[in-house]
Amino acid sequence: MSIILHIDFNSFFASVEQQANPFLRGKPIAITGKRGLKDMKRSIIATASIEAKKLGIKPPISAIEAKQICPQLILLPGDMRKYSEITKRMLKALRDNSDSVEQFSTDEAFADITKTAQDYFGATIIAQIIRNEIKKTCGNRCTVSIGIGPNRTIAKLASGTIKPNGFTVIQPNKVLSFLDSQPIGNLCGIGRATEAHLNELGIDSFPKLRLADKELLLREFKQVTGNWLYNIARGIDNNLVDPLEEAPKSVGHSYTFPYDLELDGEIKTNLLALADQVAYRLRKDKLSAQVVSFFVRYHDFSGNHAQIRLSQPAQDGLTLYKNAWALLDRVRNNQKRIRLMGISTSGLLESDAPVSLFLKDKKMQHTLKAYDCIAHKFGSQAISRAATMKTFFQERASGWHYDHEL
Amino acid sequence: MSLTATFTPFHMHEYLNDPIDVTVDFIDSRVRPRSVCWDNRVYAMKNVNLVHSTNEEGQHIFYFSVSDDTNFMKLRLNTKNLEWRLVELYTD
Repeated sequence: MSIILHIDFNSFFASVEQQANPFLRGKPIAITGKRGLKDMKRSIIATASIEAKKLGIKPPISAIEAKQICPQLILLPGDMRKYSEITKRMLKALRDNSDSVEQFSTDEAFADITKTAQDYFGATIIAQIIRNEIKKTCGNRCTVSIGIGPNRTIAKLASGTIKPNGFTVIQPNKVLSFLDSQPIGNLCGIGRATEAHLNELGIDSFPKLRLADKELLLREFKQVTGNWLYNIARGIDNNLVDPLEEAPKSVGHSYTFPYDLELDGEIKTNLLALADQVAYRLRKDKLSAQVVSFFVRYHDFSGNHAQIRLSQPAQDGLTLYKNAWALLDRVRNNQKRIRLMGISTSGLLESDAPVSLFLKDKKMQHTLKAYDCIAHKFGSQAISRAATMKTFFQERASGWHYDHEL
Repeated sequence: MSLTATFTPFHMHEYLNDPIDVTVDFIDSRVRPRSVCWDNRVYAMKNVNLVHSTNEEGQHIFYFSVSDDTNFMKLRLNTKNLEWRLVELYTD
């Protein structure tokens, strides 16, 4: 039977800031996406320090709301380069002490320690070694919660039970009693919609989920989720720790602007800059997109969404932009100012875009190759179209990735 | 020159990009900033709280988060031209 370890940084971005700056320790701080007080107030809080959480700040929450809840809250812009290095140090500590590691997000990872640990006593020692290694390389303030269990889901649930700086071991014979002590919504994989659906069926705890008929679960939640729910109620999760990153299903980029956009000119240049970023990521991963989606959020938080299938796969910013602009032009409410725009591509093919027969397109393909060489060496911000020179996007962390590493 | 700054009754936080002189110790092939000369004043640094590096436009950059009893400073070392800059200042 496997022994899986799940590790989760406590208040990740905020802890790193408190490690770097000792005058922030013990104070309620929160990390936003933008620099400058005016821009920060339009931003969403990604992480709050333990002190801020105690005062009622529960991310994600808008910076304005957070300031209303806690006026003494110190807002700081995120420094993604700093956080990405801490993520790497955490992953190194895991890789040095385990059989395989799977990054789950910027501040979470799973490690299979079955062979390295041999048994649960060995697992507790490895957990302490990893914790000490992280303390040594990242600093005392960067604390982690660790959960150990016979599979990924139980390990993750275990790591969430004691925070901050917790350590929870669930041995196989304790899995069912541990599950039964937890609210069903705490389990990774049971989101709000699934929990609500389960509640409608009269299932609000793991013992009740265990008693549920398998046919009912398969009928209500379809094959994959139904099976998973049936198994996990019995503490069974056969997903392995997979060190290989899954191929992306979509590549996109969205951005909340420092002020609401209303002029066509500024909307176009920002859209083109977004399209170029998406296209660069597609080319970097040797992908071509067949579908372009566009979404917009207005100043009143209403929004529109549209998508189009391309006549042929594309991986250049101009093609993505032209299609996205056509979509925007179709769905846009001209009476409203634009707060956020995003472009997403899907229907991804693992190949470069087909070589064009037309000289103009061939020239563009050669130009993009040169563009990619420069961006690869000096960073994606190092080169841009003249039309997008006035645009600037702050670096962000999203899910597994940091913008500056893309 | 301050790029952006926030002030509250309790602290001052500034983002800068000022050239500075830094005295360092070399310990076990590591660089440890000891004092910072900025704006004609010398600040003796007590703690190095975090060091991280990054690649910016093809150049290897080190950032040192250092502090004394009242100031936090983030120092930027460009390894290509060995130029030090003060990029962040937080005073309690």
